[in-house]
Amino acid sequence: MSELFLAIGFGLVVASVLALSAVGLSLQFGITNYINFAFGDFMAIGAYTSWTLNTGPLHVNIWVAMLIGGLLVGVMAVLLNRFLLAPFARRFQKLFYILIVTFGLSLVLLNLVSSIWGDEVQRYNISNQAPQHIGPFLFTVDQLVVIGIAIVAMLAIHFMLTRTRIGKSMRAMSDNSTLAMTSGINTGFITTLTWFLSGLLAGIGGTVLGITQASITPGSGETFLFVIFAAVIVGGVGSIYGAMVGAVIVGLATEVAALFIDPSYKLDIAFAILILALLFRPSGLFSRPGKA
Amino acid sequence: MDALTAENVSSGYGRSPIVRNVSISVAAGMVTAIVGPNGAGKSTFAKTLAGILRPTTGKITVNNTDITRVAGYLIPRSGLAYVPQNDNVFRTLTVRENLEIGGYASKKDARVRMNEVLDIFPDLSKAQEKKAGNLSGGQQNMLAMARALMAEPTVILLDEPTAGLSPAYTDVVWRQVESIAKSGTAVLVIEQNVERALTHAQFVNVLVAGANHVHGTVAEIAKLDLASIFLGRDHAPDSSSPSTNR
Repeated sequence: MSELFLAIGFGLVVASVLALSAVGLSLQFGITNYINFAFGDFMAIGAYTSWTLNTGPLHVNIWVAMLIGGLLVGVMAVLLNRFLLAPFARRFQKLFYILIVTFGLSLVLLNLVSSIWGDEVQRYNISNQAPQHIGPFLFTVDQLVVIGIAIVAMLAIHFMLTRTRIGKSMRAMSDNSTLAMTSGINTGFITTLTWFLSGLLAGIGGTVLGITQASITPGSGETFLFVIFAAVIVGGVGSIYGAMVGAVIVGLATEVAALFIDPSYKLDIAFAILILALLFRPSGLFSRPGKA
Repeated sequence: MDALTAENVSSGYGRSPIVRNVSISVAAGMVTAIVGPNGAGKSTFAKTLAGILRPTTGKITVNNTDITRVAGYLIPRSGLAYVPQNDNVFRTLTVRENLEIGGYASKKDARVRMNEVLDIFPDLSKAQEKKAGNLSGGQQNMLAMARALMAEPTVILLDEPTAGLSPAYTDVVWRQVESIAKSGTAVLVIEQNVERALTHAQFVNVLVAGANHVHGTVAEIAKLDLASIFLGRDHAPDSSSPSTNR
């Protein structure tokens, strides 16, 4: 029984990392209507930027480094959209072309990360912590902070989407971008802001992934991208709340399943969930009308 | 004074123009209709006025302000509100949220304006927390008009507001259109049903093959053989005929 609670506890940590990343990916998809396959590399750039700040001469606190890394990836995402992806999306109506462009971008960024930071496994400068009992669960302080960051981020995003003019404009644009424009919404500004938020969440997600896995490699974001896809598809592609729920389902399922099978097959569990979702509820739990 | 004017406007998709040198004027407090056969370019012209398509030639003004090159999202602030024929509401947003978004282009307090608009559309008042996608087709068209009115427009441009609606609901929509005009707003309606246009509008423009064919008051247009015009045959205007642009 205690092993089950341990698995659920770590499942919540994984779900937190997944939620940050999956919501970031869904926000961007909702506005542009195409999947960014370079999202995992955005995460890696965030993770390595934080690592440089955290382990370099400045010894920046890991959480401050995480925020700076996230902001940097946010700016990078805006620039990449503005000067690379948006021109392609304007020129080619078929989504297939823009997906190929994001694939290419992913390869370029992966190699860029490798050439800048090397292929060795790196670790953050975080002191070893003894896990603390919280009810039946065991968490380290850092794991609790990761869960806290995810909860605060999800609440902030919910507040933004339902209470603010910018958030409602984002939802309107995600629903029907032409109607949003003719209703007076500055769709260019909303697109830029969404790419920034998506990049910010990718950068933060990359760092907390490195913290929870106690290691970062250039390809860790890309590998995790498939788990993110599983969460996004289970929740309903493009649905922010679906991504949150999908993250909890996939995070818990992969960790609890590891009790019964070899933990090295966790990624396969995420795939199995993805296939089941596509078979029995392809539109996801929170499907959006009019969207893929 | 004309609330909306378009002079020699041409536009289309890619390099082939669909609308060629179309000119219209829409007066405040009046319903002006654009009629024409399928493929005449009516909706393309509406999209050009609304800023979705860029005119390749010509000039568009609202309240004597040139909006020809104004960014599309600024056009509602210039006083022109557009209601497309299809996909005219934000389906995943509630009725209230749809109205709030319409009010973003207005300087007036959104709550005050929403109460005013809901007084015009009492059915929507009862369904404020419903998702727009769950409304009936007629209610969605009403919501689309209400959202457009939230911006307190000088001109409201309606692209086939009764397409696909039952005859009973069509009457309801047209009554609302007339009451909007009575409040002083200029109304430009793209209409497939000529009989309806002649019944409810004061001025009619006939578009054929992307160009102005004839325009005039309802009484003037009613005298013409519109079936022949729609089929591309000329009518024979005499000195008392409405203006032609052939």
